[in-house]
Amino acid sequence: MKKLAAFALSLSLVIPALAGCGGSGESTSTGGTTTPGAAAKQEVVFNAKSEPPDLNPLTSTDTTSFWIMDHLGEGLYTKDKDGNPIMGQAKEVKLSDDKLKYTFILRDDVKWTNGEPVTAEDYAFTYMKHLDPATASTTAYLLYYIKGAEAYNKGTGKAEDVGIKAVDAKTLEIELVAPTSYFDKMLATRYWHPINKKQAEANPKWAANADTYISNGAYKLVSWKHDSELVVEKNEHYWNKADVKMDKITWKMVNDATTAYQMYKSGELDFNKEMPSDILAQEKSSPDFKSVPYYGTYMYMFNVTKEPFTNKKVRKAFAMSLDRKALSEMVSQGGETPAYSMVPRGAMQPNGKDFREEGGDYFKEDYEAAKKLLAEGMQEEGWSTLPDVTLMYNTDESHKKIAQAIQEMLKKNLGVEVKMTNQEWKVYLDTTKQKNYQMGRMGWVGQINDPAFNLDYYLGESPNNRTGWVNKEYDQLNMAAKVEQDPNKRMELLHQAEAILMDDMPFIPVYHYQQNYLVKPNVEGLTFPVNAFPSARWATKK
Amino acid sequence: MSRYLLKRILMMVLTLWIIVTLTFSLMHMIPGDPFASESDQLPEQILLNLRAKYNLDEPLPMQYLLYLKSLVMLDLGPSIKSETRGVNDMIKDGFGASALIGLQAIAVALFFGLLFGTIAALNRNTWIDYTAMVMAVLGIAVPSFIMAPLLINYLAIKWPLFPVATLTSWKHSVLPSLALAFGPLAIITRYMRTSMIDVMNQNYIRTAEAKGIPTFLIVIKHGIRNAILPIVTFMGPLIAGLLTGTFVVEKIFAVPGIGKYFVDGIFNRDYPVILGTTVFYSAILVLIIFLIDLAYMFIDPRIKLSSRGR
Repeated sequence: MKKLAAFALSLSLVIPALAGCGGSGESTSTGGTTTPGAAAKQEVVFNAKSEPPDLNPLTSTDTTSFWIMDHLGEGLYTKDKDGNPIMGQAKEVKLSDDKLKYTFILRDDVKWTNGEPVTAEDYAFTYMKHLDPATASTTAYLLYYIKGAEAYNKGTGKAEDVGIKAVDAKTLEIELVAPTSYFDKMLATRYWHPINKKQAEANPKWAANADTYISNGAYKLVSWKHDSELVVEKNEHYWNKADVKMDKITWKMVNDATTAYQMYKSGELDFNKEMPSDILAQEKSSPDFKSVPYYGTYMYMFNVTKEPFTNKKVRKAFAMSLDRKALSEMVSQGGETPAYSMVPRGAMQPNGKDFREEGGDYFKEDYEAAKKLLAEGMQEEGWSTLPDVTLMYNTDESHKKIAQAIQEMLKKNLGVEVKMTNQEWKVYLDTTKQKNYQMGRMGWVGQINDPAFNLDYYLGESPNNRTGWVNKEYDQLNMAAKVEQDPNKRMELLHQAEAILMDDMPFIPVYHYQQNYLVKPNVEGLTFPVNAFPSARWATKK
Repeated sequence: MSRYLLKRILMMVLTLWIIVTLTFSLMHMIPGDPFASESDQLPEQILLNLRAKYNLDEPLPMQYLLYLKSLVMLDLGPSIKSETRGVNDMIKDGFGASALIGLQAIAVALFFGLLFGTIAALNRNTWIDYTAMVMAVLGIAVPSFIMAPLLINYLAIKWPLFPVATLTSWKHSVLPSLALAFGPLAIITRYMRTSMIDVMNQNYIRTAEAKGIPTFLIVIKHGIRNAILPIVTFMGPLIAGLLTGTFVVEKIFAVPGIGKYFVDGIFNRDYPVILGTTVFYSAILVLIIFLIDLAYMFIDPRIKLSSRGR
C-alpha cells in the first residue's frame, strides 16, 4: 500500500505541473487578435494516436511527427492556406541566370522560440548535418538536388564541395545540380526546416523533450508527456504571429480507434481520424463529418518476372476486372475514389488544372474485353490454362477485406480463381523485395503533391519498385521532367510518362486514398493539405 | 540462509543470461529488417550508415557480446524506431503508469478474490456459493478487451462517473485497473474457495471449533493463513505480468505504459526494444518469484529455505 501511495503522490505532482504549462499567461496577450468578443478559449485537442517517434526535421519520417512538426517549424518557404509555396523565413530570393544558384535573404525578424535570431549559419548547419553520413538520415536523398550533396552523403565526396554557403548572418547560398523548377515546393516541406545550431551541438538529443526543443515556426513546444500528450502554444517570437489564430493545440495519444471515438463523443477530443468502417457508417451523415482526398494510391503490384504476369495483356485483363466502385462503397467504405491511374487528384498544374483531371482515366472496367484480353494473352504465351496465381497482402483486417473482394471479383468477372496469402508487414516487405510474389498489395503517398513524386515510384532503379518492371522510355521521360524548366512542358512530359506506365500496367490501381475526419462544429477554419493531417493554425473556436 | 540467498542470486543471474541469449538468437531468426518500410527509398550508403550506427554491421556473435556489455552497465540500448529516446527512457517513462494500474488491479483482485472465495467456501452449496462461482466463471471467460469497452460504455459514457481514457489523474486510473482486475479476481476466487474448503475440513479446524473459538476468528487466524499458500504461488507470474503492463488494456485506455513496447517492438523489428522489454520483464519475474519464496517462510513457518532439504 505504501508503494501505491507513492505512485499516487508522484502522479499528483505531475498533473499540476502539466496544468501549469498550459496556463502560462500568454493566451491573454494573443486573445485580442483572434476572434474578438468570443468567449471560447482558442484551444483545440487532436488525437495523434501514438507517440510521435521523432520530431527532429533531419531524421523524422512518419506522418504523426510531420503533423506536429508542420505546426512547430518553418523553412525558407512555407505554405499558404491552399498549400501553395510562399516565402517563409526568407524575404527575398535571387536566382542566377543559369538557374542553378539561389541566394536567400532571411527576414530581419525571424527568431527561434528562445528569442535568438535565426541565422543563415543555422540553415547551412542544418542541411550539412542532414547530409552528414554520420547522421544516417533516411531522408537525406531529398537534399540530393544540391550540388555535391549526394557524393558527400554517400561518402565519396567532401563536405567543402557541397553547394551550401552562409555568406553572412542573413544570406544563404544554395547551388543545385540541375535547374529544378519545383525547388520552392521542396523548400516549403518539413524536411527543410532549420534546427538551432547551438542547441543541436550542445545536446544531440535536443528533440526528445519539450524543455530542450527549439523551433522557429508558428508554435512552440511547451509540454510533452511521452505516450500521453503533447502541447504546443503560439510562438510569441514568430515573425508572422498575426497570421496565427489558434492559441494552443494539444495532441492526445490514444491508439484505440473506439476509445478515441468515445472521447470525441464525450467532448474530450475536438477532432477524430482513422475510424473503423462501422463508426464511419454511423457518422457519415453527421454534420461533423468531413471527407477530404488524400494524395496517395492503393494498388496491387504485379511481379512481371513471374508467370502469368510476364504478359501485358494478362496484367491488363486483371486490372479491368475489378469493380472499383463497389470496392470503395461496399468494402473499404471510406469514400475513396476509384483509381484508373497512378497519380491521384491533388496535384495542381501551372495552368490551374488538376493533373488528374487533365490526364483522365487510362482504362475502363470492361469484363467482356478483359476476358478477351486474357484469352489473347494466354494464346501468345501458349498456355492452355492460366498458371496458378496467389494474391498476397500484409496481415490487416482492412487489407484482408479488400483482398477477399478482389478474389471474388476476379472469379466472377474474369473467371480466374486466385489463392490468397498474407504475411506480417516486415516479413511481407522482405518477401516482396525479393520478388517472391505474383501480385501483392501496396500503397503510396507522394511526399510532395507533384506528379513526379508518385511516378518516381516505378523508376527502374527506384528501391520501391518491387515489380521488376523497367522501361527505359519511362525513366528517360521522368529524368527529362526533372530538369525541364518550362513548367507546362514538364507536366506534358509527366503525362507522357504516366501514359507509358499505365499502358504497360505493372500494377493495378485500386483507389486513391481519402481521409475521413470528425470535427466538432464549433471548430472552424481547419485547413486540409492533400498529403498531411489538418493544420489548426488558421482555425478558430466558437 | 546466507548461502541459500547467494545461490539464489547466482541462479537469477544465470536465468537472465539464458533468457537474453535465447531472445537474442530467436529475434534474429525472424525475417524482416528494422529499416524496411513502405517508403523504401534508402540509398545503399545510408543503409550502411544506419546499420553501422546500431552495430548491425558487426557479425552476430560480436553484436551479442556488445549487447551483453551494455547490459552489464544497465544500458538497454537505443531504440531504432525512436531516434531520440532509448529503451531506458521508454521504460523509465512508462513503468510508473503500468505499475500504478497493475498494483491497483492486484490489490482489488486480491482483496475481493480472497473475500468472495472465503464467503463462497463457508456457504458451500448455497445460493451465495453458486452466485460467486457464476461470477468467477464469467470473470475468467470475459477477456479484458471486452470488459474494457463495457466499462467505458457504462461508467464513462452512459453514467459519466469516470473519464473515458488517458492517464492524467488518479480518477483516470480507476477503469483500467478494474478492467485488469476482473480476470485475476475470478481466478483467485476459485482458488481460494477450493483451498478454503480443503482447510476447513482439517483436524486442527475441528479442534479449534471444539475449543469453542468463534467461527470468524477461526477463519481469520487458521483458515485464511493456511488456504492462501496456493494463491501466493500463483501471484508471482501474475504480479510480474500486471506490473509490466498489458498491451490490450493500455491500448484501449490510452495508458502511457510499457505494455505496447512488448508488441510494437516485435512488429518494428526494433531489436533493442525486443531485448530490453524481455530482459526487464524477466528480471521482475525472477525477482518476484524470489520474494515469493521468501514470503512462504513468513506465511508458513514450517517451510524452511535452504539449498538442501535440511
